[in-house]
Amino acid sequence: MISNKAKKQIDAWVVKYPEGHQSSAVMEALKIVQAENDNRLTSDTIQAVADYLAMPGIAAAEVATFYENYNHKPVGKHTIRFCHNISCMLNGSDELITHLENKLGVKTGEVTPDGLINVKKVECLGACVGAPMFQIGDQYYENLTADKIDEIVDGLK
Amino acid sequence: MADIEIEIDGNSINAKAGEMLITVTDREGISVPRFCYHKKLSIAANCRMCLVDVEGAPKPQPACSTPIADGMKIHTQNEKAKASQKAVMEFLLINHPLDCPICDQGGECELQDVAMDYGSDVSRFTEGKRIVADSDIGALIQTDMTRCIHCTRCVRFGAEVAGIMEMGGTGRGEDMKIEPFLTEGIQSELSGNMIDVCPVGALTSKPFRYELRSWQMNAVSNVARHDLVGSNIITQTYKGKVKRIVAKDNESINETWISDRDRFSYEGLSHENRLLSPQIKVEGTWKEVEWNVALDFAIRGLANNVINTHQSDKLGALASNTATLEEFHLLQKILREIGSENIDHRLNVKNLDHAISLESNIKLLGLEGIDHALVIGSNLRLEQPMISHRLRKANLSGASIDVINAMAFDFNYRLNSENIISPNQTAATLAGVLKSVLGNAHIEVPDYLVDIEVSDIAMQLADKLSQSNNSVIVLGEHIVNNPQASSIANLVSEIAQHTDSTTLNVSATANSMAANMAGFVPGKDGLDVNAMLAADLKAYILLDVYPQYDFHHSVQAVEALSSDDTFVISLNSFKDDAVAQYSDVLLPIASFYETSGSHVNVEGEVQSFAAAVNAPSDTKPAWKVLKVLADLLELPGFHYADSAQVTSEIMHQSHKQHAHNESIDVKVKRGINVIWQKSPYAVDVLSRHATSLQATNIGQINSASMNKATAKKLEVALGDEYLGVPVAINEAVANNCVFVNANHSTGVQS
Repeated sequence: MISNKAKKQIDAWVVKYPEGHQSSAVMEALKIVQAENDNRLTSDTIQAVADYLAMPGIAAAEVATFYENYNHKPVGKHTIRFCHNISCMLNGSDELITHLENKLGVKTGEVTPDGLINVKKVECLGACVGAPMFQIGDQYYENLTADKIDEIVDGLK
Repeated sequence: MADIEIEIDGNSINAKAGEMLITVTDREGISVPRFCYHKKLSIAANCRMCLVDVEGAPKPQPACSTPIADGMKIHTQNEKAKASQKAVMEFLLINHPLDCPICDQGGECELQDVAMDYGSDVSRFTEGKRIVADSDIGALIQTDMTRCIHCTRCVRFGAEVAGIMEMGGTGRGEDMKIEPFLTEGIQSELSGNMIDVCPVGALTSKPFRYELRSWQMNAVSNVARHDLVGSNIITQTYKGKVKRIVAKDNESINETWISDRDRFSYEGLSHENRLLSPQIKVEGTWKEVEWNVALDFAIRGLANNVINTHQSDKLGALASNTATLEEFHLLQKILREIGSENIDHRLNVKNLDHAISLESNIKLLGLEGIDHALVIGSNLRLEQPMISHRLRKANLSGASIDVINAMAFDFNYRLNSENIISPNQTAATLAGVLKSVLGNAHIEVPDYLVDIEVSDIAMQLADKLSQSNNSVIVLGEHIVNNPQASSIANLVSEIAQHTDSTTLNVSATANSMAANMAGFVPGKDGLDVNAMLAADLKAYILLDVYPQYDFHHSVQAVEALSSDDTFVISLNSFKDDAVAQYSDVLLPIASFYETSGSHVNVEGEVQSFAAAVNAPSDTKPAWKVLKVLADLLELPGFHYADSAQVTSEIMHQSHKQHAHNESIDVKVKRGINVIWQKSPYAVDVLSRHATSLQATNIGQINSASMNKATAKKLEVALGDEYLGVPVAINEAVANNCVFVNANHSTGVQS
């Protein structure tokens, strides 16, 4: 369930916490395990992380369901994290999200049939200066327009 | 901590610095509303209901998490406090459904009560309420999670008291839910307490669902007889039936918790399998008769078979460990008046020449204060839940716990060491511990220890005991049929003596302490149970005995009791085929909670209780049946008006000690050992008939566990049965050992 490579990465986090508090590494561990499992967590992977850190499964599940960064449903190869918070909203993010949904043929939260893209509405990503904006991977795309979105999405492979 | 003075609502009050405000208000009887605060759980301060006004603080403070300081002025009733409490109440009610009329918590609901005091009569919210899907968490607890107010008491109970975090808060904000992670059902043996701590109707008793309102029932204090603790309970009854059981506070016995076995076993009382009318066997067929006919038949049988023929030594009495102190006393008194010493309750012991004799000299409360424990031969958590709970508390405050078992069990605390040792080597290991302990104390080693090699394990166990100031050695049920049981007990006694340890003997459970106290053991020249079965007795009086569960030698027992010229009087609360086969008279007796009596717990505390309900139908409390039997036999000294007079007679008599085997055998034995245990919810006849308990994960435990090597030797594999119990291959079992946990009768025990 957890690869040896992932275990090594988790161990590197575990040693940062005091003896007997290895469960403090749960957030990073979930992130690492999510990354190597199609970018999503299941009950099994959450339990595996909990077992590895010697903590109750439910305690890991509490963390995994609390934070937005953990996915519990299948996601695409690329997740478009579309900001719909106040600045982006005032600058037309709602219309742009609808445009994006129409272009992809799927709603927010769904994955395109080719498994390439899904859209997720998120709260402020701290780039109001370039609103409306979204994030793909580690990259911010700002001052979006319908044309710009088409160009970016067409470029995703 | 220093005494300080604070002012609450204008009255000055002395308290200790650093105490939480709510502790002080509770002590002083000042009412502060709360949901998440529970005196036995950690402080969460997440419901905010206990907000009070502290002078100088800009905002209202939660009383549960505000430590007091000298000169603090607190207002619990002023406008600011009231306004905050009302605001929180309104907030909590936004999403709480208005389904009180169909909610089982109605009438005993903390939310309902507090809403009466602090709620508004009209809601300002017109928005839809949120709905939360329920999770099926097993046969004991009903969930209605839409009612949940997220106090997290159940979560904290699991994590802190039960030691298994099963419930948790998932999601966040409006989407937060209290739920278990995986839906395999709750595993804890203390899970029912979550019902008690839940302040609303989110977690309620499943067997009690839609039955009654709390105000319709009578509440009678009682004592649970399933284990050695004698947890205090409240039996709630309606029209002569026990409808529900809840915990009763008793800090020195069960604090405020009870085990699921104590809480849910009452269901068995109304099982269709109850024996409800007296019966006699005439020419091989059973006939229902009046009590006087049955008793007369019983008396004539005794007269013909033993009394008139002057062979009173051919009469035997056997009782199950669940009988009351008074019942044990009366039955042994009848036997001794007739002139027989053949009396025994240790039906599950294979060889009584090696019976365990070890005193318990520590209080339950004292267990919390120990700094080290050595547990030998016990799956404590499931066998003696409340004792295990005390050890867990000690462990959490720093005590180390070593275990010697024949199999690895789930302990809900961190063990210092878990030593899986074959039963054949238990005595030798303890001999090593003793030798090492004596070495530590520079005491000369007795002859029988000279050749013992001290293993590393033994040395470590010994060092721990020698170094600890307040250690306890717990001797458990799994040792009962160890071929060296008495030697093990004697070694424990020696080790304890030389390490200043206390001992706790949990090797015989239920009300066995009462049996010992009442002298329900063979007297001089009397036969023990196994000797009786071999001695071709002419008559028996059996008190609530179920041969296929209770006897170690169950096959021999049924055979001996079925003998044509043996007259058997059986007092039973439930029907049983084997009992019907060998008995000549069946006298229906009251079960738990239907009779008055006493339980004696492991610390020797005698707790008397009244009957919560009348004995159903034609059944009678066994103490009354025994008294009338004695009267009809014209035996002297049975003039009792109530069971309390029997109790006081026992208190005034000297307790008989039965002789015990003092020899110590430390040789490593050969062969395969079977540790035969009834599974935790099959220990007595009432639990076995409690449907919901049986449906739980613990109730379903039914396996003969052994490792691969042992299975190979016994020529069995997964899918086979061993002694009538499904084989489980488990490498956590010691070599040459089979650990059986059976939840059904098999008729085979060797």
